[in-house]
Amino acid sequence: MAQAGKGWYKLDNAGILYSALQSEEYSAIYRFSALMAQPVRPAALQCAIERVMPRFPGFAVRIRRGLFWYYLEPNTAPGPFLKTDVSDPCQPVRFREDNGWLVRFYYYRSRISIEVFHALSDGAGALAFFRTLLAEYLRQLGYAIPAGDGVLNLDEPPRPEELEDAYARYAGSHAFRLRRLPRAYPGTGTPEPFYTFHVTMGFVPLDDLKEQARRYGASITEYLSAVLIQVLLEKQRRERPYREKQVALAVPINLRAYFPSGTLRNFITTVRPYIDPALGDYTFPEIVSQVRHFMKLHVNRQELQAAFTRNVRFTKNPLLQAIPMVLKNPVMALNYRLLGVRPYSCTYTNPGAFAVPESMRPHITGVEAILGQATVPRCHCASISYGDTMEITFAGTQAETDTEREFFRFLVRQGIPVRIESNR
Amino acid sequence: MSYCVNCGVELHPGAKVCPLCQTPAWNPDLSDPSYFPTKPPEVLPVSKREAALLLTAMLASVSLCCGLLNWILPTERPWSLYVIGAAVMLWIWLVPPMLARRLPAFFKLTADVAAVGVYIWMISIDLNGGHWFRGLALPILGWICVIVFLLSFLLRDRRRSVLSAISLCIGAVGLLTLGIEFFIDRYLRGVWEPQWSLVVLVICVAVIIPLRIVRHVPSLREEAQRRLNL
Repeated sequence: MAQAGKGWYKLDNAGILYSALQSEEYSAIYRFSALMAQPVRPAALQCAIERVMPRFPGFAVRIRRGLFWYYLEPNTAPGPFLKTDVSDPCQPVRFREDNGWLVRFYYYRSRISIEVFHALSDGAGALAFFRTLLAEYLRQLGYAIPAGDGVLNLDEPPRPEELEDAYARYAGSHAFRLRRLPRAYPGTGTPEPFYTFHVTMGFVPLDDLKEQARRYGASITEYLSAVLIQVLLEKQRRERPYREKQVALAVPINLRAYFPSGTLRNFITTVRPYIDPALGDYTFPEIVSQVRHFMKLHVNRQELQAAFTRNVRFTKNPLLQAIPMVLKNPVMALNYRLLGVRPYSCTYTNPGAFAVPESMRPHITGVEAILGQATVPRCHCASISYGDTMEITFAGTQAETDTEREFFRFLVRQGIPVRIESNR
Repeated sequence: MSYCVNCGVELHPGAKVCPLCQTPAWNPDLSDPSYFPTKPPEVLPVSKREAALLLTAMLASVSLCCGLLNWILPTERPWSLYVIGAAVMLWIWLVPPMLARRLPAFFKLTADVAAVGVYIWMISIDLNGGHWFRGLALPILGWICVIVFLLSFLLRDRRRSVLSAISLCIGAVGLLTLGIEFFIDRYLRGVWEPQWSLVVLVICVAVIIPLRIVRHVPSLREEAQRRLNL
């Protein structure tokens, strides 16, 4: 929760973790891009950034190192400034560089991109920020874009609930115990040199995808998760391991759908749909069914609350609070490796449809999402839909392309046309 | 508009190959601008000057305080020299690598060993141990330096397999122990009668031989990789 009058903010649970993990090799950064109908005009976009930043105090911050935890404080330094885009996106963040800004803005031809450090906000919060930025950019170009329909009014002061720590607000009385999850198939490849980040995007018609998902009685997220699991199961089998491990995905769930909150900060938790090949072979319809039933069974208010309550208790524990950060951070990083990396084969996130007001639609032709690099050389998958196109991104630091290649080939075999773009 | 004949996906008009399978694309439109920017990010190296300065100040203040205490409260032995020597040694180990972006391995190793040598020399002066310093400490230090330098030189090739690297490290341990016993025997008895170091060396060789066999027999190597999930 914002520390009223003190000019600083405590980090939420997710923010504490992502700050502790931050290093020269890894930072939790993600990117959203919008393809505009016309080439970007940098001066107008810079004006829009300057107009929008004060309305989003949760983004206009810098991170500071306290004795026990990191904390956020308003950033009064010049910027953030618009930059020309680079070939390898989602570069790790350095807290002391770029005037301490934790949000980056890029443009390339008709594409506008923002990159956000995950300690500030999750995908839903960043999309609200991005939507408002695009609306203001279009206003700067002379178009009349009214506030509303997800576009925040820049003339209104920020609402207190936008800055609330929703985890702390909704933490319940019961928490899941910390249990060690089984190690999953890592799906790692050959690491590329430092600061290389491969991005491969596939564009598919949303209607075709919906129809395929409906054939299996699943949602798009469940269907694409099942495709990813199928591809990783086959990849593991090709490697002929001595013992086949579970293939498990980390799928972030937006908690705002279950716990009403207007927060623009982090408010997500992850679920772990998985298939254990040690139990036998699964056909694709069986994998979809397993994922679908897992989601139906475990994505509910009570279980989600118990999951994030555990993390809230961790940060509120007086004993842990008293440990200096220099000692706490390595332990948290090790804990993340054991509980946040090893039990998963891949991360798949689907923030859903990018909805914009009717007046903005003719000016935006597409939207893209990229998840930043993993702590190990493997790819992360993200998807986002806009209009009648679903964009699916595989991004990672590994040299191999087998996961994305088999994923998109699978969709083609299912009768879904795929268009590919890549920075490889 | 071109398609990959292998994957069946539509490609960017300017793509020369399919990014998924590297199959060449037919008749790419090279005038079409790239979908992604081609400018690589500029990544400046992190400045460690502040950290180096902080470490220097910490070591200097510890040395100064101990020196002053030793001077104000004099004792039979100049104990503060031990602390000051250790601080100088730590400074040589830690600070130059922070300030220099790329320090040659040979230079760094020589400086590190020289720092240890100077520290032991200071101790030997305080304890009137010039004899053991020249006869025992200096040769052992030199031998360690030679072994570490050789090992770092051999491991410099990044294409070397994990098994080869492990074999080299084990071999280095065997040679190191052999040399240490040689210098101890020469100093104490004047004659080399290898005993415990030979046992270590034989164990090292016994471990290296199966590792080399696994390294050179593909079926065994694959089995080891599978079992170890490498």
